[in-house]
Amino acid sequence: MTGLRKRYGATLALDGMSFSVRPGLVTGFVGPNGAGKSTTMRVILGLDAVEEGTALIGGRPYLGLRRPLNHVGSLLDAAALHPGRSGRNHLLWLAHAQGLAARRVDEVIELVGLTSAARRRAGGYSLGMRQRLGIAAALLGDPPNIMLDEPFNGMDPDGIIWMRGFLRSLAAAGRAVLVSSHLMSEVQDTADHLVVVGRGKVIADAGVAELIAAVSAGRVTLRTTAVTHAMSVLAQAGATVAAIGRDTVAVSGLPADRIVTLLNASAVPFSEVSAHRATLEDVYLELTREAVEFRAATPSEVSR
Amino acid sequence: MRPALHAEWTKIRTVAGPLWLLLGTVAATVALGAGATSVAGCTPTGCGGDTTRLSLMGVYLGQAPVVILAVLVISGEYASGMIRTSLTAVPQRVTVLAAKAVTLTGVVAVAGTVAVLGSLLAGWLILPGPGRQALSSAEGPTLRAAAGTVLYLMLIALLSLGVATAVRDSATGIGVVLGLLYVVPIVSQIVGDPYWQRLLQKIAPMSAGLAVQATTNLRSLPVSPWAGLGVTAGWAVVALSAGALLLRTRDA
Repeated sequence: MTGLRKRYGATLALDGMSFSVRPGLVTGFVGPNGAGKSTTMRVILGLDAVEEGTALIGGRPYLGLRRPLNHVGSLLDAAALHPGRSGRNHLLWLAHAQGLAARRVDEVIELVGLTSAARRRAGGYSLGMRQRLGIAAALLGDPPNIMLDEPFNGMDPDGIIWMRGFLRSLAAAGRAVLVSSHLMSEVQDTADHLVVVGRGKVIADAGVAELIAAVSAGRVTLRTTAVTHAMSVLAQAGATVAAIGRDTVAVSGLPADRIVTLLNASAVPFSEVSAHRATLEDVYLELTREAVEFRAATPSEVSR
Repeated sequence: MRPALHAEWTKIRTVAGPLWLLLGTVAATVALGAGATSVAGCTPTGCGGDTTRLSLMGVYLGQAPVVILAVLVISGEYASGMIRTSLTAVPQRVTVLAAKAVTLTGVVAVAGTVAVLGSLLAGWLILPGPGRQALSSAEGPTLRAAAGTVLYLMLIALLSLGVATAVRDSATGIGVVLGLLYVVPIVSQIVGDPYWQRLLQKIAPMSAGLAVQATTNLRSLPVSPWAGLGVTAGWAVVALSAGALLLRTRDA
């Protein structure tokens, strides 16, 4: 999609959102709440109109697809069900809308492990079961593209592990998989590629390994019992320091050997100096720092 | 269009609500009609009035479940968010609305036919000789009243569907349609001026549409039977067009 722009009243929901999702990869679509993830997905599906820009699936707009579920499978809101209809019948009307047979419904039910509950009223399903039903719906047309909005929401640990493996297998089969989440830890072990968004635009669009390396570069973790002393010494030498734990400090702007020399010279005790390995959480925080709309002030930062 | 229709039919038959509401229409129509005919003041010479219309008056009540069903067909999807799934499966929005309209009028036609035939049968069984004769002797007008009442219910369903598509909320939709149906006749009773009274009866969807039930004294009606049903059809067309236009242009 390119240059998506959309306004809700005074708020600019999408401000030139552009990225692409490649087949064979799980692409994590992450950003704080209100960053425009769900809006982008609705725009892709032709549910919301944009003032500018285009979203294409395999080169065609969604509204031009004849049997859309054969092109894109999507799950926007797992709770969007009639509570009195059974899970199987929910899939059945969707299948009929695409000219698919009931046999395919039973196949996808089996695929997501919902066979035992399929004939019960969907109103009685747990959120995790609804997510599975939503995934089944997304898979009905066996589409090459899968798009899921917050699929980990409400899942128990078993469900999360299942979902991760399932998404990986979908990508391994050559599908393009786009998964949104506001929790980094959820996509950590699943995504190959990340599109990080904030305030309606893309902040970063890169491989997971690449992003971690970029944020880790030049950062050193220091373990010391004298956190305040160490921080003031290093800050005076021109480094950017931040306390990241009770006895750990993240330092950037100085090489590790220089840090050791400085600390020794000032007689600051320390137990460990190591190259920092950023987690996706760090990457995300670093990238969305300016983009977060509602953020509590974090006073632990000391910089010169 | 065919897959969309198939999907809507699957939707309407896989939940219990629609069937109960349609049964409610049949029960309310027949029961009220039977009640009305049983208190009709008949003398050996005649029943002093339009017995066909009397037998079919249960529709005044029986239309209410039709309104509720027709509104819920789309506003229920807005309430749960399922409308997005529907529009994702069939992105041609007007096709979705058309499929809903066809399915809805189909089931309402079946229930309406059962309700009307039940009412006429009840009237025939309850009314004494002269009233019974009036029911069958006026075959042409009685047939018109019967078929017209079924058509009326179908049009009320379409009107409700259109309104619900425009307002997207169950309570608002049901309120607007029932208000339109029941409040306008009440207002026309309150209005003293006979000119305005007649005009309101001519243009209100219920009083105009149900003119099709009349079999006697057609000249005294504010609007002729088929023209009255045409007024109701006009309401349905306007409501559906407005609904379709808004469905097309708004974000889902």
